[in-house]
Amino acid sequence: MATIAVPLGGGQSRQEIEAVRRPALSEYLRWSVDHKIIGVQYGVTSLLFFIIGGALAMGIRLELWTPELDFMVSGAAYNSLFTMHGTIMIFLFIIPMWAAYGNFVVPLQLGAKDMAFPWLNAFAFWLIPPAGVVMLLGYFVSPAEAGWTSYPPLSTLFSGDGQTLWALGAHLLGLSSILGSINFIVTILNMRPPEMTIWRMPLLCWAVLATSIIAVMATPFLAGALTLLLLDRMTGTTFFDASGGGDVLLWQNIFWFYSHPAVYIMVLPGMGVLSEVLSIHSRKPVFGYRMVGLSSMAIAIVGFTVWAHHMFTSLQPELRIPFMITTMIIAVPTGIKMFSWLGTIWGGKIRFTSAMLFALGFMSMFVIGGITGVMLAALPFDIHVHDTYFVVSHFHFVLFGGSVFAIYAALYHWFPKITGRMMDETLGRIHFVFTYLGFLITFFPMHIVGMLGMPRRVAVYDPAFTDFNRLISLAAFVLGFSTFIVLYNIARSYFHGPIAGANPWRALTLEWATTSPPPPTNFHDDPIPYEDPYGYGTKAATAYIEAIDMAFDRREAAPSGAD
Amino acid sequence: MAEMTATQLSAPAHDDHGHMSAEEHNENMKLGMWLYLASEIVIFSMMIVGYVLFRINEPDVVELAHSKLGVGLVTANTFVLLASSFFMVMGLRAMQQGNRQGMLRWIGATALGGAVFLAGQYIEYSELAHLGITLGYDIESQWQTFGMRFYAPTFFHGAHVFVGVLWALEVMRRGAKGRYDQNPIGIEMFGLYWHFVDVVWIMLFTLIYLV
Ligand code: HEM
Ligand SMILES: [Cu+2]
Repeated sequence: MATIAVPLGGGQSRQEIEAVRRPALSEYLRWSVDHKIIGVQYGVTSLLFFIIGGALAMGIRLELWTPELDFMVSGAAYNSLFTMHGTIMIFLFIIPMWAAYGNFVVPLQLGAKDMAFPWLNAFAFWLIPPAGVVMLLGYFVSPAEAGWTSYPPLSTLFSGDGQTLWALGAHLLGLSSILGSINFIVTILNMRPPEMTIWRMPLLCWAVLATSIIAVMATPFLAGALTLLLLDRMTGTTFFDASGGGDVLLWQNIFWFYSHPAVYIMVLPGMGVLSEVLSIHSRKPVFGYRMVGLSSMAIAIVGFTVWAHHMFTSLQPELRIPFMITTMIIAVPTGIKMFSWLGTIWGGKIRFTSAMLFALGFMSMFVIGGITGVMLAALPFDIHVHDTYFVVSHFHFVLFGGSVFAIYAALYHWFPKITGRMMDETLGRIHFVFTYLGFLITFFPMHIVGMLGMPRRVAVYDPAFTDFNRLISLAAFVLGFSTFIVLYNIARSYFHGPIAGANPWRALTLEWATTSPPPPTNFHDDPIPYEDPYGYGTKAATAYIEAIDMAFDRREAAPSGAD
Repeated sequence: MAEMTATQLSAPAHDDHGHMSAEEHNENMKLGMWLYLASEIVIFSMMIVGYVLFRINEPDVVELAHSKLGVGLVTANTFVLLASSFFMVMGLRAMQQGNRQGMLRWIGATALGGAVFLAGQYIEYSELAHLGITLGYDIESQWQTFGMRFYAPTFFHGAHVFVGVLWALEVMRRGAKGRYDQNPIGIEMFGLYWHFVDVVWIMLFTLIYLV
């Protein structure tokens, strides 16, 4: 034990550390190449789109209050409602929201001073607002109405200029995602300080690495398909038109070759968040750290072999069984993560913080989504429920119960680092209860109506399903309302929340070993990561955490228990 | 504190805050460029596969096109593009030897090669249009969907050549100001791109014109 302690920020006086202020509002409104500013820009932009997408969802539920067409003026208007809802939630909320956390947290966790390509980083972000505007402009012509999956011929022969704008917007978002992902890969592989070996990387970094590899390899397929779609729409080619020598299934194949991997773009970072939050808030090492890192990579690879499970009803019959098998295989690395999380919290000193609650919420919901996924992978079952509300239920359990819950967990967890203020835990718990129950009661009954035969994407349904739909709509309004609790909490805590200090959760990963918010160069000196990012429960870990406390907050060392 | 703990949190910064070394920077640029090219390969392969399937399913149409078109012009064009790749290498070498003027000449020749290629492509497109091969589908036409399957990859490639020519000019502009005297990574990046565009063309040339 002979190493000399060099407290972080060794040369700094208390005044210097306190001088770290939050960036002024104006810095967020202009071009900035600081990854922390860009992270917040991504986050706030995505949040705005989340609100728009959520409002559209409320519209869907209003229409489905009765079995007749009443709230919307026409079936086409209803089509555009769910099309824009899905598109906004996926392309303008979940995917960019992960870029928000990736940007803010990953360089800090690595101990890097910025991303590898700061300029490119800003460029990738600034593609998003115009892309969103282009998509929304559809409302002024004739909005897209072919669903987020945009199958031809609906998206080519039977829809208006809004569909063209939709494709252009999606194209820009794809470009943004590719450029952002290249930046993440290079940052994670090349920008680590020497002590941060690949096997010391926090699991969020592993997850973002896997996600980015998927995005770089899969998104170009979307770009290619959208290019052909635009050509079909604008120049009279017939790539997707069977009557003109083209192939309608071509779109389905390419789209899902992108979009199945893309569902992992949407959820892998959330799984990374889970490993962080569960370990820190239950004071226990991540169970099977290496397996979790590797399972992200396995998911990234196997994710490319399952796309046609979305096409069981349109595929050549011989190919169905092979895709059923690959799809079931992908549940294995997902299961590894599930068991790792369980093993992590097992016997831990669980603190039911809001972040932890949402992480536990993720676990309970995602397991349901995973099980319904395997059910859908079973061909005989899928033929029966394909294109019904059962599928809607499945993907909301993984995307809302999974990704969105993880986004909330990450918000409560990193808000103190981002803003320097704690969020209100009481409001956080209230938010959790409303979201959890609202979500469960909205989406669980959809399994049942789906199995009873209610098709998805229709405004008019069999009156026999009315009671179910009323229940679902009511719960959905509660769920929508719950969003305002967190919005209020964000606003209030930003101004009045208690000062967070450097390391409010007593965590070991490097983003906590600097001030909150961190200075423009992230760290005053080159930080040295603790030997194990999740090595809680040892004397050495406690000593490391106390050293952080003393370096930044000049706090008296907390009475040491094992941390 | 007399009693120091064994915990070391940080070491004094060993480089300028926020600045990476030139080698680190170069490594990042190269990895980033490779990743970008990987994503380009995906888009090109989709279009190439689209063509190949047509080639397999409709051999008559493609053979007719071959017989009408000949390979003279396109072979010459391919040569020009290959040569420009060679000029590119020479340009980088010149800069690595500290010969800025030589670099400017070679990169200039590269840009010229790209421009000649585009002119050749333009001539060929006009000939094809003359034969009635159009991008849009025409039910009357004997060419079926040959037009879109041919134009999509070749035009997409041509657009890449066009971007490459602009990039070469930009490299010359910056190079003339001495930007690459110390670190020619910017030329190397352009080189990677240009070779990539070249290799894609070899693929297209072989698949579309030769087989
Ligand atoms: C255990 C792993 C999973 C399996 C086996 C699985 C399986 C399936 C299958 C077979 C379908 C097609 C249902 C149909 O249309 O008939 C489907 C749909 C879907 N899944 Fe999953 N899934 C899994 C995990 C996920 C995850 C993690 C996500 C997202 C984070 C996701 C998102 C979706 C979406 C968005 C759809 C519907 C797409 C649409 O038609 O609009 N799935 N899933
Ligand atoms: Cu899938």
